[in-house]
Amino acid sequence: MHSSTTNEVPKKMVTITINGKEVEVPEGSTIIEAFYQNKQDIAHYCWHPGLSIAGVCRLCMVEIEGNPRLQIACNTQVMPGMKVNNQSAKVKDAVKWGLDFHLINHPLDCPICDQAGECGLQDQYMKYGQYDSEMGEGKVKKHKVVDLGPRVVLDSERCILCSRCVRFTDEVSKTNELGIFNRGDRAEVGTFDGKPLNNNYSQNVVDICPVGALTSKDFRFRQRVWFLKDAETVCTGCSTGCSVKVYHNKEGLFRVKPVYNAAVNGHWMCDQGRDVYKFVNKDARLLDGKVVSGGKTEHMQATELAKRLGTTLKGAGKSVALVLTGAYTVEEYDAILNYFKTEVQTSNVFHWINNPETFDTFDGLLLRGDRNPNTKGLAEALSKNGFNGTWKELTDGISTGSIKTVVVAGPENLALFPDLKSKVSELAKAAKLIWLGAAKSADLEALTGDVALLPTKSYVEKSGTFVNQAGLRQAIKRVTTIVPGALSLTEAVAAMKGEDVLAQPTYQAGVASPTVGAGRVNNEFTLTRGVW
Amino acid sequence: MAEIKYLSEHYSKPEFKTLDGYKKHGGYEQLARALKMEPQKIIDEVKASGLRGRGGAGFATGVKWGFLPNNGEPRYLLCNADESEPGTFKDRLMMERAPHQLIEGMLISAFAIKSKKAYIYIRGEYMGPAAILENAIAEAKAAGLIGKNILGSGFDCDLDLYLGAGAYICGEETGMISSLEGLKGQPKLKPPFPAVQGYLRKPTIVNNVETLAAVVPIIRDGAAGYRKYGTEKSAGTKLFSISGNVNKPGTYEVPLGYKLMDLINIECGGLKPGRKLKAVVPGGSSAPVITAEECEKATLDYECLAQMGTMLGSGAIIVIDDSNCMVDVLSTISHFYHHESCGQCTPCREGTGWMERIIHGIVHGHGNEGDLDLLLKIADNMKGRTICALSDAAALPVLSFVTKFRSEFEYFIREKKSQVRGGQIYAQLHH
Repeated sequence: MHSSTTNEVPKKMVTITINGKEVEVPEGSTIIEAFYQNKQDIAHYCWHPGLSIAGVCRLCMVEIEGNPRLQIACNTQVMPGMKVNNQSAKVKDAVKWGLDFHLINHPLDCPICDQAGECGLQDQYMKYGQYDSEMGEGKVKKHKVVDLGPRVVLDSERCILCSRCVRFTDEVSKTNELGIFNRGDRAEVGTFDGKPLNNNYSQNVVDICPVGALTSKDFRFRQRVWFLKDAETVCTGCSTGCSVKVYHNKEGLFRVKPVYNAAVNGHWMCDQGRDVYKFVNKDARLLDGKVVSGGKTEHMQATELAKRLGTTLKGAGKSVALVLTGAYTVEEYDAILNYFKTEVQTSNVFHWINNPETFDTFDGLLLRGDRNPNTKGLAEALSKNGFNGTWKELTDGISTGSIKTVVVAGPENLALFPDLKSKVSELAKAAKLIWLGAAKSADLEALTGDVALLPTKSYVEKSGTFVNQAGLRQAIKRVTTIVPGALSLTEAVAAMKGEDVLAQPTYQAGVASPTVGAGRVNNEFTLTRGVW
Repeated sequence: MAEIKYLSEHYSKPEFKTLDGYKKHGGYEQLARALKMEPQKIIDEVKASGLRGRGGAGFATGVKWGFLPNNGEPRYLLCNADESEPGTFKDRLMMERAPHQLIEGMLISAFAIKSKKAYIYIRGEYMGPAAILENAIAEAKAAGLIGKNILGSGFDCDLDLYLGAGAYICGEETGMISSLEGLKGQPKLKPPFPAVQGYLRKPTIVNNVETLAAVVPIIRDGAAGYRKYGTEKSAGTKLFSISGNVNKPGTYEVPLGYKLMDLINIECGGLKPGRKLKAVVPGGSSAPVITAEECEKATLDYECLAQMGTMLGSGAIIVIDDSNCMVDVLSTISHFYHHESCGQCTPCREGTGWMERIIHGIVHGHGNEGDLDLLLKIADNMKGRTICALSDAAALPVLSFVTKFRSEFEYFIREKKSQVRGGQIYAQLHH
């Protein structure tokens, strides 16, 4: 859906003047696009670069020289030589009044509103408003706490009827659940009888809602947004690798939002991708190293456990097998494969495909059946090292006893591994199971044989590179620390080699820049806060 | 000059609404003539006649037809019979008395703009006229006047009636197109204009009932014949709907340029005995009101009224005498626009309600000193800021009423009672 920008014929440019500055913009752009391309502020609510033009909020007013009437920037195309400004007293007064019209029936319940701190009304008020309201009449009463569907709640009184959510369900998700019912100032967004807002992209309407009308059931009332830090990373929910922002504080992650990336996900992400953060927080995590041997259980630090495992693995040869999932970075694969090739000296390396039946499916928008962020990176690493073992070779090896120790770099997000239970019981048949993973699992805890569990870092705790389904290499950067003792595979391997882990750099340069992958342009459309 | 029967020549004859009766008075002869003409010749004739849109905007009809792009796409002709401007009822009369005149005018126009599909969009409340039109369309279809190869000319044109659900906004041409497409009746963002992308995103011409009916005499008499009536810039005759405090309210056809006071005093029999003229709303409720003094100078043409800061609009003349409280009148008008705003554009959606609530407050004795200035500010900021003209339609009466009759409003706010009616608080008719 998002074509690469590389092979396009360059558009003809026209010269226009924005606020006294001459700029060149592609022919056929609208004025609002020209403003964004040239980093000029312009107030707007209904216009969104990923949706059709509605032209209803009437806030993006501009003055065009030679035209006595103010025009809306979103539906006016640039013309060569056009002189546009949105700084004149006339425009500012029009925007102030436009804002006032938005606010007269707005409940102004910022203290209890989830959007406070990232709200379009608040932001524009600070820029254009700062007046005392002249509205002395009663406000229009509308429905509150409207349950639109499993993930989204509506407060109609806060709604400014910009119609972004309606256009999203019409144009992007193409599910058409939402509509605007009734007329005038009685109009309200709503769903049709018996058809709730229930699609895998429903929470995008929360992101694009410029006010607090649509809130996410998952996030509402959990944190004030000014107590959260945000950081850009890549979604690990599937092999599409959407660019996302994770919002966190010292308690962990609270929500995930998409970041505009023309080459991957455009403006959107799926609801399943938004749930990924839940498997990163402490509750779902393996917190320290654990060894079960001869009926005795021993807890220890991950580094110490890795060092101990290293002594048994070194030179163990073909009796050791390595099972890898697609959840780790390119750098980690390089480190662990190199270790197994040169130090352990085994070629028994296998790829655990979590859902082979639906692996190659695609929902047509963003979500792919391959629910791993780096399947392609793993495949590249395996073929580079000449490893091509099949799962049958592994199970045969375990049952004949030629494979005695199985080392697994396990899943991070258990929800994406429906075959976890069966695979664990299969692998546990080996004499010794060494499980490296971020997630805590009842299936692993229940194992009674010779088992070692080593906590690894989740994707927000390490830096590295993911290769998405299209072969795009995308860098991720460490965001925060959630489980202090956890190790990345690179660090675990270093510890196994007996090296000092703390001296090990957390980021292995795999791509030229640690910040952006191809196509992730510095997004002119994503404002500093949120995506509204 | 006085009232003339040009378009409405046979309106009083009951048989005129049947096909046979219409034919007896020369019906469909102009269609037969037109079908032998070059389509471009018809457009030129309409252009030369100076016919202007009778729905309200007064845009030159021939020029509008000329906007159609020559890109081979199918074209649509839509007749706007939504007649929703308060005070207007001339289209209803035309459809009730002369449905075939409209059909003939539409077929000629469709032939001129090369459209093979025409619709009449009639407002939901007009069930009576709709039934008459249905009947007439059926008659015309049975007689081969609508459909394939009309009158052996090789021209095909289908014509159907579409009954709206009754909304002011569906009288706006793009709102009407939305409604006809089966969507919520909301105006569309322009550009693109309907002539380029209208009904089903195809080139579309929308004309008022009276405009399309007027095409018939233009073909009969030629542009010069039509121009015998009216002024240089406002050619022809027009049907005016007169309501309010006159002795004989109704629909009258007079040439454009006719004196407003003559229409009131001669055709409509003047005001009730002992009453003095206070104000006139000359072009439907959205037109700015003019005072009695201004009425003396007013002539009924597009230019004179525009010069006075108001408009001819749909030709709906609402006569207000001195027994009426202007605050009451504005309260009713504001309620209407608040009720009818489609709610798309913020200034209109919020502004119409805000203004109504302020005026409602004044009428109920809760007015404040600053209310009038606030009203003017709100109205000023609603004007010209929205997709369609409903916002202007709501703002203009407020601006003109409050400016021209400010003392009455001030009295009401100060004394908490009407200067005209006296003590009681006005009982709202509408709630």
